[in-house]
Amino acid sequence: MKLRSLWKGALLVAGSALLIAAVSLLGLLAFVWWNMADGRGWGTTMEQLSAALTRDGAAYSFAGEPLLEEGHWAMLLDEEGRVVWSLRKPQDVPEQFALTDVASFTRWYLEDYPVRCWVREDGLLVEGAPKGSVWKHDIVLDTRALLRAPVWFLGCFGLALGGVLGLACLAVRHWFWQAQKVRDTARSGWINGVSHDIRTPLSVVMGYAAQLEEAPDLPPARRRQAAAVRAQSQVIRDLVNDLNLTMRLDCAMQPLRRTALRPEAFVRQTAADFLNGGMAEGFDLEVDLPDTPLPVIQADPFLLRRAVNNLLTNCVRHNAPGCAIRLGARAEKGRLLLWVDGGIMEAEKPAPARPAEPDGSAAHGTGLQLVAQIAAAHGGRAEFFAGPPFRCELRLPAKG
Amino acid sequence: MLPDGDGFSLFGRLRQGRDVPVLFVSARDEDEARLRGLGLGADDYITKPFLPQELLLRLRAVLRRVYREQPAPARLGDAEIDWGKGVVRRAGAETPLTAKEFALLKALWEARGNIVTIDALCSALWDGPLVGYENTLMVHIRRLREKVEADPSHPRFLLTVRGLGYRLRREERP
Repeated sequence: MKLRSLWKGALLVAGSALLIAAVSLLGLLAFVWWNMADGRGWGTTMEQLSAALTRDGAAYSFAGEPLLEEGHWAMLLDEEGRVVWSLRKPQDVPEQFALTDVASFTRWYLEDYPVRCWVREDGLLVEGAPKGSVWKHDIVLDTRALLRAPVWFLGCFGLALGGVLGLACLAVRHWFWQAQKVRDTARSGWINGVSHDIRTPLSVVMGYAAQLEEAPDLPPARRRQAAAVRAQSQVIRDLVNDLNLTMRLDCAMQPLRRTALRPEAFVRQTAADFLNGGMAEGFDLEVDLPDTPLPVIQADPFLLRRAVNNLLTNCVRHNAPGCAIRLGARAEKGRLLLWVDGGIMEAEKPAPARPAEPDGSAAHGTGLQLVAQIAAAHGGRAEFFAGPPFRCELRLPAKG
Repeated sequence: MLPDGDGFSLFGRLRQGRDVPVLFVSARDEDEARLRGLGLGADDYITKPFLPQELLLRLRAVLRRVYREQPAPARLGDAEIDWGKGVVRRAGAETPLTAKEFALLKALWEARGNIVTIDALCSALWDGPLVGYENTLMVHIRRLREKVEADPSHPRFLLTVRGLGYRLRREERP
């Protein structure tokens, strides 16, 4: 999955979560404000009720009876805690209150009746509501704690966001992995099928071309043509093999059979096989190894030999006989540097030293691309220098 | 991939009746298929497309392995190597080969003129890597040259390939 896509996804989820949190918080605050004491829940404000209660000598007159909702009641306590005026006061509410009773019901309930109070010059006006109709809770909050509230909010929000992002990432990765698996299987099946269908007719072409080339009664011109057909068939065969291996490395379907590899033995054997196979005929193949032992590497000998052979073959293919080709290795900062140089690469441009993109945008079938892929599969990298002379360096992690 | 089955089951039926050498010729080049074929007991596995010459060489190698014969004496110039007795004959005189010299000469001879790396020779002689044996190997090579070469200082057959190993140039007649 591309890092940019992941980054975009994370931003989208974070933005959505932030919007949801902000709207929820604002809604909660609005709800609390709308329904809090002296808000809509009580219908009338205490100030209005108090204004409707007037004193006329020793008696009180109350003009706000319509303001009191059904089931609500009111009373006025004097400085001594005595009830001096009341309206629809329930029987279970006493006529006299001690200081502690007043302190209690101003904060909690009066005989389970939710009440609210208003201080007047002549006492304390109390309005009561039916039992269970209003929820009261005394909230006391330290100012410092109040100031820390945003930090808590942000912390909780971050935690929730992290969880959501983690889950989203897992879901997206799973989905992406499944989609890629389906795509890779289809691609692998298609390429396997095509290469299988190419191999059998190519065998016939190569076989007949080789037989013609060896026929004693064939004129020299025809023999050269047969040789060209045979040689080009071999090129197609190599391309099919490269294409197959590239696809397998692309789709991570090529298992790496890593073994402890001594670089000196590997380099000597690869060079010897190349010479024994007659691949370097007319070329001067030199091996350059240091006197001190090289670090052992964990590598798949088949794949690594394929990479080095590709480089050596390219040097032979793109240069005139007589050209010197060098194959060597040396230790460098905990890594093994395996290199091939020689001649000038005219036909092939250096491939980027990076693993192929899973979307298939990378070039296929080129020898150098395969070298870069093999290096990447081993946790290393390949660097190409156009030269002259052309040089390729494979940097591979060394063991311990 | 055959029209009426696959090569692996055919191999199974073939081996039920006779113990003949078998070489797979297949368009399937995946490691799994190759390993399965060889794991079943095939003597070799070659993938299409291939050159007829390669098929012939592989068949010869299989036949050589399966129907092993007493090797004929090898000839290097005026020297003759008798593998059965482990001696080098030259000008009517017999010089015995030590066990290491015999193994060294055999490994080089079987490479059929190809280069054999010093690592491969050490593995053949000491069943281990080169480390520590390089000088010993050079001593064995020098002694071997004294036995098979007319002029050990200017060898004609047992040749050094600089940086890689050695090569035994095969020649039936001087």
